[in-house]
Amino acid sequence: MNKGNTPLNGKRRPDRAALFIAVFLAAIAAIIFWDVSRLAAIASYSRIGPATVPFVIACVLVVLAIWTAFEAWRGDFPERERQEIGPVVWIVGGLVAQLLLLKVAGFSIATGILFAAAAAGFGKRKLWITLPVGIALCLGVWLIFAGLLQLSLPAGPLEHLFL
Amino acid sequence: MKQFLIASILAGAVAFSASAADYTIIAPANPGGGWDQTARSMQTSLQQEGISGNVQVQNVPGAGGTIGLAQFASQSNGNPNALIVGGYVMVGAILTNKSPVSLKDVTPIARLTGEYEAIVVPAESPLKTFGDLVEALKKDPGAVSWAGGSAGGTDHIAVGLIAKAAGVDPTKINYIAYSGGGEALAAILGNQVTAGISGYGEFESQVKSGTLRLLAVSSDARIDGIDAPTIKESGLDVVVQNWRMVAAAPGLSDEQKAAVTADIEKLAKSASWQETLKTKGWQDTYLAGPAFEEQLAKDISATETILKEIGLVQ
Amino acid sequence: MNTFEFLLHGLSIAMQPMNLLYALIGVTLGTAVGVLPGIGPALTVALLLPVTYKLDPAGSLIMFAGIYYGGMYGGSTTSILLNTPGESSSIVTALEGNKMARAGRGGPALATAAIGSFVAGLIATIALAFIAPFVVKLALVFGPREYFALMVLAFVTVSSAFGDSTLRGLTSLFIGLALATIGIDQLTGQARLSFGVPDLLDGIEVTTLAVAMFAIGESLYIAAQGDRGPDKVEAVKGSVWMTAADWARSWKPWLRGTAIGFPIGAMPAGGAEIGTFLSYATEKRLTKHPEEFGNGAIEGVAGPEAANNASAAGTLVPLLTLGLPTTATAAIMLAGFQQYGLQPGPLLFATNPQLVWGLIASLLIANLMLLVLNLPLVGLWVRLLTIPKPWLYAGILLFATLGTIGANPSPFELGMLLAFGLLGYVMRIFGYPIAPVVVGLILGPLAEQQLRRALSISQGDMTVLFTSPIAAVLLTIAAAALIVPLILRARGRGEVLSQLAASED
Repeated sequence: MNKGNTPLNGKRRPDRAALFIAVFLAAIAAIIFWDVSRLAAIASYSRIGPATVPFVIACVLVVLAIWTAFEAWRGDFPERERQEIGPVVWIVGGLVAQLLLLKVAGFSIATGILFAAAAAGFGKRKLWITLPVGIALCLGVWLIFAGLLQLSLPAGPLEHLFL
Repeated sequence: MKQFLIASILAGAVAFSASAADYTIIAPANPGGGWDQTARSMQTSLQQEGISGNVQVQNVPGAGGTIGLAQFASQSNGNPNALIVGGYVMVGAILTNKSPVSLKDVTPIARLTGEYEAIVVPAESPLKTFGDLVEALKKDPGAVSWAGGSAGGTDHIAVGLIAKAAGVDPTKINYIAYSGGGEALAAILGNQVTAGISGYGEFESQVKSGTLRLLAVSSDARIDGIDAPTIKESGLDVVVQNWRMVAAAPGLSDEQKAAVTADIEKLAKSASWQETLKTKGWQDTYLAGPAFEEQLAKDISATETILKEIGLVQ
Repeated sequence: MNTFEFLLHGLSIAMQPMNLLYALIGVTLGTAVGVLPGIGPALTVALLLPVTYKLDPAGSLIMFAGIYYGGMYGGSTTSILLNTPGESSSIVTALEGNKMARAGRGGPALATAAIGSFVAGLIATIALAFIAPFVVKLALVFGPREYFALMVLAFVTVSSAFGDSTLRGLTSLFIGLALATIGIDQLTGQARLSFGVPDLLDGIEVTTLAVAMFAIGESLYIAAQGDRGPDKVEAVKGSVWMTAADWARSWKPWLRGTAIGFPIGAMPAGGAEIGTFLSYATEKRLTKHPEEFGNGAIEGVAGPEAANNASAAGTLVPLLTLGLPTTATAAIMLAGFQQYGLQPGPLLFATNPQLVWGLIASLLIANLMLLVLNLPLVGLWVRLLTIPKPWLYAGILLFATLGTIGANPSPFELGMLLAFGLLGYVMRIFGYPIAPVVVGLILGPLAEQQLRRALSISQGDMTVLFTSPIAAVLLTIAAAALIVPLILRARGRGEVLSQLAASED
């Protein structure tokens, strides 16, 4: 069937990345099937219990996985634009840093780091500018939302100076 | 700026020297709910009466209070200034959610308030008395649909107990769970279900305006100002109180526990707390010490039994 | 006093200069906070409610109404300009609105949203004043089976947001439905798909998913385009105001959106955003410019925005007449009303007419203020797009996480934000539509619960689902929406064939 990379009769190559999507969908379905199997069968008067709807959803996901695999095999997925990995790493790194530092360093420092990392992801790599700007901005946001509006945002060493 | 200054002094006090009278109360629910209101009313009264200089309320919502309870038990071990608000709903939620942390892992101090369950039918319902409803239930339990709060909650448990007392198999009850009393109320008003069950406060204005008929309340004796018989009067021995309590951290010494209990008793007897109960329409069901512990143990075992009989807990 | 006199009396109080000022402050504050991505109307009202406590009852009620409408409108602004809806009700607005903004038509998109919101708010508030008691009687007729039929109809309409591939649209929807089953099953109390993780017991927060998939996914996707990505957005192309053609294409969607949104908002079972889905699907079916849908059709902004505001006024119907809060925002409003001594319930209109009519008059005034404030600001909002990308997107991420942290400051919630952000990014790469995921998460539990309640009440008898007249009508409409396009296509082919045959003669 597969003619390799000879696009003679207009046939495109199987789309490997899209095949992964099919695997991903099948995996979600498998997890749901497993979870449903250990649910107690409390159907009461409705005949359909807590397991019925997830079971149906998982079945549809299996069908969608097969359909996706089929389209991926035929190469029917649309062309994708080339993605730059660098910016994505910057932003994801910023979000992870915020998540880890939030409790320890407080809202302003953690979110300031996210701010600087996001700016870097969009090409503004001058951290010595973006980081102080980010932290100052976040501190301002903290003062307004936590100070004035009583939103519970974690406080760290920097915020304690203003408390 | 002045506000900041005061706040900084208060915050400094929390951070460095939490004196014996400074409490942090966990409300294991979203802002606005019963537990949150209880915690915030306690905060006001504790400060007003000078029992405690500084009280903080923190919301840790989720899963019938069990998420807040688990966090409280693990993070405040041995801390005499930490309190958590809880209630009867938590007893059921611990069982149905298979929560690893139970009320045994904290130090229950006292029951503060409670609300009794009310059973209503739409005004146009052919069922005139609670006896009529029980007869219908005995004839065909499936044909009597009950609208109430979340599965395994106080409302559900009360229906299970009524069925059991009436000699009906509790697994056969047709209970329709709604999120919160509001949605259930709409179903009852719209005549979608046979009967409704919830805290009396939920139905009060509808009962007064005549759109709902109040059949019975789940208290031990008739309640002042509420024109309805108790379930007990109709021969079924069912008393259900949706109580709220306050608990302290695990691992306290006897002296620490006594100190917290004394503070809470002062609160419960205080004028400002009594005023709060009146304005909020809460019943004063204060109970502490061995009497409360005994009542709690009884409630837990009764709840476990009925939840097993309904089939919600294996 | 009769109804009309009460309303006039309320209006005369609300029109006092001091109260007008309060309305303006409320609308400004509400818009300013609501415009931040990740902070929807519920959080806006919750945050700003204490500000109103310091005023006298009339003034605080008016400022409160201003905050409420301001918060609602602020959310649409960022959806349109930045494709970062912070709450479920402005997701549909982002679909066409952002496409318009990218084509330099952000001005008309914002204007049609503002004027549409005003028109819908005006009509719906007047409807609230005069027909609330009747509407609520109608709404109570809706039982589980009728709701289920409505959900089926809503599911059919989701397909209009599928984009160009049925496979990918369905996949998105079912990912959302799968996510919706996480957490405690409401009807039996059983934990599903939570793997013993307590944070999952309450399910996935719609706000978290929406902010992650839209704001974070969008930021990642745009960043990954690097320098060559869509070159600088041109903020204004053509007029910043609505042209005559824009007006002509907007007024009918405004009215239709209002007619759809108000009754759905008035139903006491939640899901007020369903009106926006239905309105979008309606406009897509009725438009004379089908080719523009998906590329920035003004009808797709005008209709859903009107529906959104009308349903917001609609949620006040069960709130005021029954004391039932049906949305998070309404629940917070209930707390606010109690502060003013309003005890919502069936007797409210009889026992407390001054306050009720004061509130309704306040809503009318706030609605007007919103228009007064925002129309001149449209030009300024559009400038948001000219902020250099690094600063703009860094700010978006700041506020997107602020909303999540403010609602629940747990590392787990932020972890979910990141995970769903990455999911949104990957889905964008492969051309999957984002909106159906969020719609699935909203509709899934509603549909499941109503179906199971209906069958439980009927003791397992499936026929009840079709035997109620309202349910039957709704299901018929749903079936027609699915089948009619197929028939038309088939008939169209037939006509072509017969024409061919005729021409051979």
